[in-house]
Amino acid sequence: MAIHPRARDFPQSEFLGPIPDESEITAGTRIVPGRSYGFFTDTTRCIGCKACESACKQWNALPADNMALTGDSYDNTGALSASTWRHVSFIEMIGSGDARATEMAPYQSNWLMMSDVCKHCHNAPCLEACPTGALFRTEFDTVVVQQDICNGCGYCVPACPFGVVDLSAVDGKAHKCTLCYDRLKGGLEPACAKACPTDSIQFGEIGDLQESAHRRVEELHARGVSSAYLYGAPGTPGATGDLGHLNAFFLLTQRPEVYNLPPAPTRASRRTAPSLLSGLATVAGLAAAAMVLLRGRA
Amino acid sequence: MSYPGKIDAVSGPLDRSEKPRSPYGRTGDSAQFRRVYDGPTYYGRNTVKPSPFDWKIATYIFVGGLAGAAEIIATLADLDGDPEYADTVRQGRYLALAGTIAGPPLLIAGLHTPSRWFNMLRIFRATSPMSIGSWILTAFGGFATVTAAAHAADDAGWRPRTRFFRKAARLMQIPAAIAGAGMSVYTAALLAATSTPLWAAAPRLLAARFGAAAMAAASAALSLGARRRRRYAAAERLEDFFALATLTEALIARNANTTFREKGVDDALHMPRYRAAYGGGAELLGTAAPLGLYVLNRLSGRRSERLAWAGALAAIAGSAILRLTIMYAGNESARRPESYLAMTQPGRSP
Ligand code: SF4
Repeated sequence: MAIHPRARDFPQSEFLGPIPDESEITAGTRIVPGRSYGFFTDTTRCIGCKACESACKQWNALPADNMALTGDSYDNTGALSASTWRHVSFIEMIGSGDARATEMAPYQSNWLMMSDVCKHCHNAPCLEACPTGALFRTEFDTVVVQQDICNGCGYCVPACPFGVVDLSAVDGKAHKCTLCYDRLKGGLEPACAKACPTDSIQFGEIGDLQESAHRRVEELHARGVSSAYLYGAPGTPGATGDLGHLNAFFLLTQRPEVYNLPPAPTRASRRTAPSLLSGLATVAGLAAAAMVLLRGRA
Repeated sequence: MSYPGKIDAVSGPLDRSEKPRSPYGRTGDSAQFRRVYDGPTYYGRNTVKPSPFDWKIATYIFVGGLAGAAEIIATLADLDGDPEYADTVRQGRYLALAGTIAGPPLLIAGLHTPSRWFNMLRIFRATSPMSIGSWILTAFGGFATVTAAAHAADDAGWRPRTRFFRKAARLMQIPAAIAGAGMSVYTAALLAATSTPLWAAAPRLLAARFGAAAMAAASAALSLGARRRRRYAAAERLEDFFALATLTEALIARNANTTFREKGVDDALHMPRYRAAYGGGAELLGTAAPLGLYVLNRLSGRRSERLAWAGALAAIAGSAILRLTIMYAGNESARRPESYLAMTQPGRSP
């Protein structure tokens, strides 16, 4: 990416305050309330450095967790949680089974890495499940938990089709990626996207991101990576079952399950009405039968 | 749905998922069932997170269903007008009241920031069965309390105008019974509207089953109440209905089991722990035994007190075990990526 012309206005190395509309310089996008923002995570660009994980922890002041080795390749983070809002997964495609690799596909050293994050679903099941209104949609079309309202009922946790949101045992509230709501308000690019050294994580307006993502898929196909596809863009795997599109979407080169992503997730709330109605119909039917069976002599 | 280009089947680190993580094992169960999803997982790690719900919410589901259904049966008995039902009406109304008293503490204890329980009443959200349920419980609590209080006042002989309290109870029991129907099924919608495989796989059947189980447990409890008060005619009619509700529950359960199997979400139910609770508790104790005892009792000519008690108690216990098993086995199903990935294969999603 070329250096933004405005970058030359700020040659100093120390700043007294944030640069106005800094995201214009770092991500090429001005952040305007009322527009939709999100992430495009291009896994073919990920080098597994975990700069996103660190930047996220640092900016959001999240504690470290699981200070141990998992034995699962270089993934010692394990999963997204209340205190981990970016998670880089590592999948070793060769040399880990019994057979020694003799051939190598022409791309990416056959080691898949993906920085996972909250998808900020268009029809977010966590938000739709939240009974207190703590989870809400921001002016940037992202999904955020208001910590001063959450009462820790935990219903968003099983509602999420991607296993993202989690309850903290420390404060008894639900936590997840906010897409750096505070930074967006200040005109800053989210911490993970800004820290990513390869632009595997791109921040921007959803429309722009989807366009460039489709271009990237075409480019990869032209270069021989015929397995590249989008996950979570409209009409692609991940954007299924009434979820609409995902505001954080991905470019993948293997089946979604390989990255621990469901191939066809669904919007949990679409089961509410059928379930309630069939239950009520059953009870009504039984009540009608009871009127007959309980009929007294009177 | 298909993915463009060639996507290989993946082996390698994913094989770790075959290692047994529980005494039940992951591979040794092939005789029991065919795993629907056999593809890769991410080191056997779960794809979705299990709910933080435990026995407190499961007990609430049972208690709330029992209370709601008891109000319905008491209302139907009162509308029938047979004086034989005098005790049933009172017991049903008081059982409903007891449920509304026991329910909220269980729910609040289930919160992780209980001091903010009242935030549940900040909004109404039609997409959230938890929100819908908070308001159903609020409404049911109000109507059931007024109904029971008016009944108690009438029993105590407070008669400001001609049987004012009796009429008040008769009026209030209608909205109470309607809210009671909500009480007995919304908890199933609450579980179904999640991404937990065992709960989400059969949304309609789960609610129908919870509704039938609630009606069965409440009619069982009220039939015992009638027997205690030597209202044998009332008790026998309640037992007839109880048998019908139990049969309904058993038929729905059969369908649900087929759906679980087809969708590949029943792994957890095959763990020894849950197999015992589900097959032995929810199905055998909860439906098969009470039905068998009822048939036996009917065949023997004069109904035996002992068989009636045994059948009703078994059904009530089975009804509670059903909710507990669905709760815990559901959480376990969320921990199993094979269950969730089976359910979310294109064309299989609920
Ligand atoms: S991915 Fe999960 S936590 Fe994120 S918006 Fe969607 S449902 Fe909510």
